[in-house]
Amino acid sequence: MSEENKWKYGFFLGCVAPNRYPMIESSIRAVFDHLGAEILELEGASCCPAPGVFRAFHIPTWLVIAARNITIAEELGVDIITGCNGCYGTLRDAWIELEHEPELKKMVNKHLAKVGREFKGLIEPKHIVQALYQDMGLDYLRGFVKHKFKDLKVAVHYGCHIIKPSDKRPWGGECEDPTFLDEIVEITGAKSIDYKDKLMCCGAGGAVRTAVKEVSADFSREKLENMRDAGADIIVDCCPFCHLQLDLGQMEANNIYKDMIGEPYKIPVVYLTQLLGLSFGIDPNLLGLIKNHDLKGVTPFIPIESFLEKVKSQLT
Amino acid sequence: MTETDKKIEIMGNEKPRIGIYVCHCGVNIGGVVSVPDLVEYAKTLPNVTVGREYKFFCSDVGQKMIKEDIEAGLINRVVVAACSPRMHEPTFRIACKEAGLNQFLFEMANIREHSTWVHMKDTEGAYEVAKDHIRLAIAKARELAPLAVQKVKVEPTSLIIGAGITGMNAALNLSAAGYKVYLVERSATIGGHMAQLDKTFPTMDCSSCILTPKMSEISRDKNIELLTYSEVEEVTGYVGNFEVKIKKKPHYVDQEKCNGCGICVDSCPISVGNEFELGLATRKAIYVPFPQAIPSEYTIDMDSCIECGICARESVCEPLAINYDDKPEYITVKIGTIIVATGYDEYDPSGLKQYGYEKYDNVITGLQMERLLSSFGPVIGKPVKPSDLKDPHSIAFLQCVGSRNFREGGNKYCSRVCCMYATKQARQYKEKHPEADIYIFYMDIRAFGKGYEEFYESAARDYGINYIRGRIAEVREKSS
Amino acid sequence: MNENVEKYIKRNVYKSTSSRIAQKFVDAGLEKLRACINCGTCTGSCPSGRRTAIRTRSVLRRALTGDESVLEDIDIWLCSTCYNCYERCPRDIPVTDMIIKLRNIAVEEGNILDAHFGLANKIFYETGHGVPANGEANKKWQDLRESYGLPPLPPTVHVHPEAVKECQELMKSVGFRDLLDKIEKIKEKEKAEAEKNKEEEK
Repeated sequence: MSEENKWKYGFFLGCVAPNRYPMIESSIRAVFDHLGAEILELEGASCCPAPGVFRAFHIPTWLVIAARNITIAEELGVDIITGCNGCYGTLRDAWIELEHEPELKKMVNKHLAKVGREFKGLIEPKHIVQALYQDMGLDYLRGFVKHKFKDLKVAVHYGCHIIKPSDKRPWGGECEDPTFLDEIVEITGAKSIDYKDKLMCCGAGGAVRTAVKEVSADFSREKLENMRDAGADIIVDCCPFCHLQLDLGQMEANNIYKDMIGEPYKIPVVYLTQLLGLSFGIDPNLLGLIKNHDLKGVTPFIPIESFLEKVKSQLT
Repeated sequence: MTETDKKIEIMGNEKPRIGIYVCHCGVNIGGVVSVPDLVEYAKTLPNVTVGREYKFFCSDVGQKMIKEDIEAGLINRVVVAACSPRMHEPTFRIACKEAGLNQFLFEMANIREHSTWVHMKDTEGAYEVAKDHIRLAIAKARELAPLAVQKVKVEPTSLIIGAGITGMNAALNLSAAGYKVYLVERSATIGGHMAQLDKTFPTMDCSSCILTPKMSEISRDKNIELLTYSEVEEVTGYVGNFEVKIKKKPHYVDQEKCNGCGICVDSCPISVGNEFELGLATRKAIYVPFPQAIPSEYTIDMDSCIECGICARESVCEPLAINYDDKPEYITVKIGTIIVATGYDEYDPSGLKQYGYEKYDNVITGLQMERLLSSFGPVIGKPVKPSDLKDPHSIAFLQCVGSRNFREGGNKYCSRVCCMYATKQARQYKEKHPEADIYIFYMDIRAFGKGYEEFYESAARDYGINYIRGRIAEVREKSS
Repeated sequence: MNENVEKYIKRNVYKSTSSRIAQKFVDAGLEKLRACINCGTCTGSCPSGRRTAIRTRSVLRRALTGDESVLEDIDIWLCSTCYNCYERCPRDIPVTDMIIKLRNIAVEEGNILDAHFGLANKIFYETGHGVPANGEANKKWQDLRESYGLPPLPPTVHVHPEAVKECQELMKSVGFRDLLDKIEKIKEKEKAEAEKNKEEEK
């Protein structure tokens, strides 16, 4: 195996990224390719299934469909990477649960056998942040930095399922004060600022957004207020659903709570690999940062032009 | 000194005559197996001359039955089939001795804990097991030989590790009973945590007022050899006859020459966190732990000292008591008993990041609050906020931090003093600042001791301290 | 009936003395629920509780003591599964897992929001995605993908109809299809009753 392709992953897409925020998908592909990792497609993968809704409806269904998705990667003999906290939560929790409970594994395989599949537990579901931080390491990533941002204040949003439940995550049990995402962001020269209640949930997950949108919009409103107070230029996240909640949700908060918030929020929301890609000197078209269409009512809802203007001078 | 039998002498060729006594123990044994049948079975075994049953052999009546058989010459071995020897072996041994039979010619068969209690639902099985126990005990009784009780010399010296209030009290008690005591203390002074406390609950006595007289007594006591700034290195030997190696750590100050003037402290350029004040004040690298320390000896903390030589100058230390080349001294002593009185540590909450202990200045621990309240503490008994040194107008006590915690790395137990000391500290502050808002956030209030519940009730009713049931999840500082 | 009796006397607030719901937890291996000492750390950690009426401690308490109304309230659906409570519970109870189990029990009895039911029955079952991009209705999302140089549909179930069939097979096998049908019937019955009541009021 050549030095170039020492990392080989099956890319689990999920739903929100490919179907609503394709720029996230394309930026992940561009950055991992640039870093020398080989990305294989997981053909026929379905919804992970989403932990907040489908696990809440029927746990055995959630377990079986998640196991099915894992077997697609098992057949290719590669670890899974996903750019979504929700998919990460589902695939990883299902993997750990099935590995620890032989009775559950038997039950799941009984169903999978009907479609000619078998869950063996041979591969590890990873988040792209886990792959970047642990498999590749900060030193390796720093080697690819071409442009450093000189004056960019980033409000980093971890989300929830990438760090919790902490006993099923690879961060040594840390969930009250993680720093790994801030560290990755800061190799680009951007400054990860501290803001009130930084680790607060975005409010999308757990079926809340689909149950009562106004409640999830209030979560976003609180987070955005705190980010604005701390003087954030942009928000950087690592989950398409959080991304949606902070982008589309920003617009919703502006509408629903306009009497409360005064000036509407207009903080651009940037996915981690979009920021990294810019810093690595990757063509912004590949990172989904340039609008090449005139479709109406599509993402992103909060314009990111101000961010691009601000950093144009720094990207020389 | 050997015991002699009163009337019966066991000679090498005298055949064993075994008495078997099967106890009902109420219904514990009698309700599960047939005791009369067990007696009958036992009587069929060789060398059994007497077999009896009774409801409670441990009673006076029961014991009398055994004694009468011994005194009548019917038996020279006793087997009691009853409860565990942990219960009544001493009882029956003494009964044998009082009747004139060597007490070690007694054997006990446990047919309660080892049979009827554990096989309550299987009466047939219990009966078979009981038979086995009795047969085995009788077989052993045939082989028993009379023994003499031996006495072992015990070194009449005690080692007490830890000179906090517990160790000190134990030392004074032992000394009053006429024993020599080595009192070993790791820090440079005796007194322990009690010296850090301001008041004690529930009486609101001044802690130092109770402690310092004891500290003086210790220093004066002729039987107590006080070894402060020392640690136990090694313990060898056995009960009553230990050999203990003690390391006397170097003070780097010759205590014979030092006259206690303290000029070295004023001249020392190095300031570090003061452990006695829990980081709320500083001390120099050369120091006395606190003003009332006993012994009042100066010590150089070599980990912080830069050996600048200022304190060693004659202009600073006239008696030239500073000795950078001081070495540890090792002594070995003979010890009979050891008391470990090493006390407690306060839980370090910095691992529980949600409480913001290291992040925010105004989050402190209970002992730190105690130092703030103490009249010889860093703020002379007028607590202030570490952030701006102003009086706090509201205080929240968060109970059960680190305790009653079943999570990985948590302590499952309840530390039991915190409900009371929080109430005490809250009262102390409220007495001086009646307008302050004080909240105690608890899961349960454990006010278990004498006067504790009254103390707690008064804190709420008379002093208006707010007790709110609800464990705090997170602490955050408001930005303004 | 006497008006004041109707208005002021409340009977049978708790419908059962021993909790049927608690037994379900024990049967599912979630007996840790019974270790709860009601300290309230979970409620204190909850970002939803700060803005809605959900009180995490109370939800678990109601489950434990047999208050069946917890299965019908919206409260359990306002938890965003952020896992803060799970991380901080001093009795090491996996609180979030408890809420998910409660949701399962509620759904089993037909207590599911119409929006969620539609998501499960129509979208998830029929397309295999939770947020689909196929079909005419979603053309703009396909166009958006193409504008970024990606194929109009991702290489998921969207371009593998046999994979959709597989998922549906599995969902049938594990009992999801039956569950959805059962809920559909319950919902139709409720709707019919609601309409009947409306008619009667007129």
